Amino acid sequence: MRKFIVLTLTFVMLLGLTSFVSASESGKLLIWADENRLEVVTDLAKEFEDDYGVPVKVQEKAFGDIRDSMRVEAPSGEGPDIIVGAHDWLGELVTNGLISPIDLSGMKDNFIKVSLDAFTWGENIYAAPYAIESVGLIYNKDLVPDPPETFEEFTNLVKKHTNKEEEKYGFVMPQPDPFHTYPFMSAMGGYVFGMKNGVYNPSDIGLNNEGAVKGLEKLNSLYAQEYIPYLDYQTMTSLFKSEDAAMMLTGPWEFSNLEKANINYGFTQLPAMEGQSPKPFSSVHGFMMSEFSENKMLAQAFIRNFITREDTMIELYKKGGRPPVYKPAIEFAQNDPQTAGVLKSARQSMPMPSIPEMGAVWSAWEDALEVILNQKQDVKPALDNAVEQIQSSLEESSE
Amino acid sequence: MNIQDNMWKYLFKIIFLGIVDALSIWSAVILYNDASYLLLIGLIILVGAINIVYLVDKAYPMRYILPGTIFMVIFVVYPIFYTVYISFTNYGTGNILSKDQVVEQLENRYFSPDDAEEFKFNAFKLEDEKKFILLFENKEGERFIGLEQELIPIQNFDKKIIDSDNDDKIEEIANYKRLPKIQLFQNLDYLQELEFQRNDRILRMKNTEYFSSYIRQYKYDEEKDQLISLRTNKIFKPSQNGFFKSEDGEKLTPGFRNNIGWKNYKKLLTDERILNPFLRVFIWTFEWAILSVFLTFSLGLFMAILLNDKNLKFRKIYRIILILPYAIPGFISVLVWRGLFNAEVGAINNLLQFFSIGGIQWMQDPVWAKVALLIVNLWMGFPYMMLIALGSLQSISNNLYEAAAIDGASVWQKFRHITLPLLLVSLGPLLISSFAFNFNNFNVIYLFNEGGPAIPGAQTPAGATDILISYTYRLSFATGRGSDFGLASTVALFIFMITATITWFNFKYTGVLEDVKENE
Repeated sequence: MRKFIVLTLTFVMLLGLTSFVSASESGKLLIWADENRLEVVTDLAKEFEDDYGVPVKVQEKAFGDIRDSMRVEAPSGEGPDIIVGAHDWLGELVTNGLISPIDLSGMKDNFIKVSLDAFTWGENIYAAPYAIESVGLIYNKDLVPDPPETFEEFTNLVKKHTNKEEEKYGFVMPQPDPFHTYPFMSAMGGYVFGMKNGVYNPSDIGLNNEGAVKGLEKLNSLYAQEYIPYLDYQTMTSLFKSEDAAMMLTGPWEFSNLEKANINYGFTQLPAMEGQSPKPFSSVHGFMMSEFSENKMLAQAFIRNFITREDTMIELYKKGGRPPVYKPAIEFAQNDPQTAGVLKSARQSMPMPSIPEMGAVWSAWEDALEVILNQKQDVKPALDNAVEQIQSSLEESSE
Repeated sequence: MNIQDNMWKYLFKIIFLGIVDALSIWSAVILYNDASYLLLIGLIILVGAINIVYLVDKAYPMRYILPGTIFMVIFVVYPIFYTVYISFTNYGTGNILSKDQVVEQLENRYFSPDDAEEFKFNAFKLEDEKKFILLFENKEGERFIGLEQELIPIQNFDKKIIDSDNDDKIEEIANYKRLPKIQLFQNLDYLQELEFQRNDRILRMKNTEYFSSYIRQYKYDEEKDQLISLRTNKIFKPSQNGFFKSEDGEKLTPGFRNNIGWKNYKKLLTDERILNPFLRVFIWTFEWAILSVFLTFSLGLFMAILLNDKNLKFRKIYRIILILPYAIPGFISVLVWRGLFNAEVGAINNLLQFFSIGGIQWMQDPVWAKVALLIVNLWMGFPYMMLIALGSLQSISNNLYEAAAIDGASVWQKFRHITLPLLLVSLGPLLISSFAFNFNNFNVIYLFNEGGPAIPGAQTPAGATDILISYTYRLSFATGRGSDFGLASTVALFIFMITATITWFNFKYTGVLEDVKENE
């Protein structure tokens, strides 16, 4: 019996050496979609098959796995033709040579501009976008009937609702978290990388410019006076859900949790600082095409004629919950006040830079926020130091 | 009976070996076609070994070792060699493709000039053959026949063109029949490869309705091993770092995987950015591993001795409660602890406030963060130590304690001279493995505080509680451009050597291995 087991194991192992994974094959489409997109894409695949007699297979993959699997499977010829993904993967996928530009000629006007910007790299567009998300102010309508429009109003509200003894807070946000803190730094002119020829320019860093420092100083003064607690994401949401926090800063991905907790909430833009509205990062999602696809024209036809369609975009919105970027579908989505709020905030947003250098940026920036908001170092020197760190780590890698 | 039994065995063996061999041959063909010769050689050696060992009677003893050896090679030896190999390459973001793949990709890159011509097209196909004629029509309404890379104005085309109902929609060109849309889609994989010459430009498919003129961007010169940009005439040569680079420093993406020699090692040993925090991280890694083992073992042993006392009531209940932390997945308990240690709203500071100790910055103060981490690891680790100590305590003979009692030994003396030495003999190897485990205990460090708090003014992002492995992670995946697997492999090899040395010395000086030998 033991021998039998050993032999079967050897046997399984040998099978492992050859691959049975379905791969991009000439004349057949393979699509990797995540759980929330699966149903919509599968229906479209059936329709495509019926219309053109071309077999389409949809494979479910966890969202985060799609990018990692691309790196391993696409170059060895085992990858898909089409993937669902987020725009911040673009840098990695393009510099690795894994995705191919898509021809959206004749349909660009149907997308809101920021969504196409997000997927633009150099001269090319690399995806058909379908959804956008960005952070904003989520407020408890029972505690804050009128959301603040200026930073001064915001400050007063925070002070009014904060009582440290009773653990009540006017405003909570996760820290150290550059993604959520960015709007305060961008309002008066901070930015991560400047642009050069349509590509982010890593030698132009705007994280320690005057606007960024001024904006962060304003936010930091509320931390210094202990009106805003320094806490992480989980603690933030649990405080808001227990109605111990009147306002919080995050994105539409928390909506379903807030509904479950029966909170009467609203979503709006962040308060303007000295008359300038904060520009949060947005994250745009779209359909991309593999460079290693043997069916680029088919894949493109699928994306052009089946994905980029009003009913598909509405279905994607209904099943996935993220606000659409396809103009005909936006009208439908705007009936929901929450979605309308997110869209308003998203239209002001800047796409989160997607170049691989962001790895260096996030970690240095995060460290800077940590020392600043815990009052260990002033805003200006800490941000200067972060920019130095970023620069030295970029020089290092660009020899 | 015996003969029949043997026959069955023999038959079984033959059938299974047959299946293994058949599958191997099949795999071998696939590997050969894929040109993965290294794997092919490996497969042949492996299958050869299996056949010899199970067929030749002399090799009988090997039958028990072989499967284990195969698994060891695949899961232990191969990854180590692969890591060594990767450490000599620049494998990482931007450099994951092979050079051939990069050249192929760049050669297939086209750009569309501003004055690109566009042609609406219809495809005509010869029945039963993959042969096509295309009919193009430009904006001015001029028609062209596309045949074998050439574009011929329709009036110059001398073969038969059929338009039976005279509706200007041509149905047949020289026996090639017009493809309806459905069939057009089914032949797209072929049509997308078609190219036609048109005034120095290339006409290629743009989408399912149009062909458009393009200019090829790069041409590869195999002899000189260089790429020429047809747009700017710049010459790009492959660099050591794995990029095609022009003389003025312009780099083409994507880059390719390349052997870069000792560069990763040099970088690790000479780069100030990396070395600066290295010593601090190195020392804390040792402190962390030693203290973790010492604390968990002390508490575990203490609990085990208490539980081992037969006079204790409700022992079973205590035991279950004490094992609980071990049963909860580490990921969850670390995150819970993270919440408890929150300086503003965490339960621990609230409790301390009750004793009027206020505002310990657990996550933000380097010293307190280390203390907090040790507490968390103590909580998660002591049940394991308690369990193994409980087991070993049972095996210590009661006679020894009775003898000691007669000699008038105190409780402490009994523990010091009987329990501890005897326990250490059997638990020594486990303590060493626990040390090695904590030395590389990435999960706790990363989940609790991501190696933080950050150190103000630091040149390299390395937090106060980063240990070597989490520092490696930062170096390789969170700085520079994306992931650097080459550098990560190099650091991993260094860590491997450090732990291997420590373990070896430990085994040697505690004499544990000799003890095992004697028992044999």
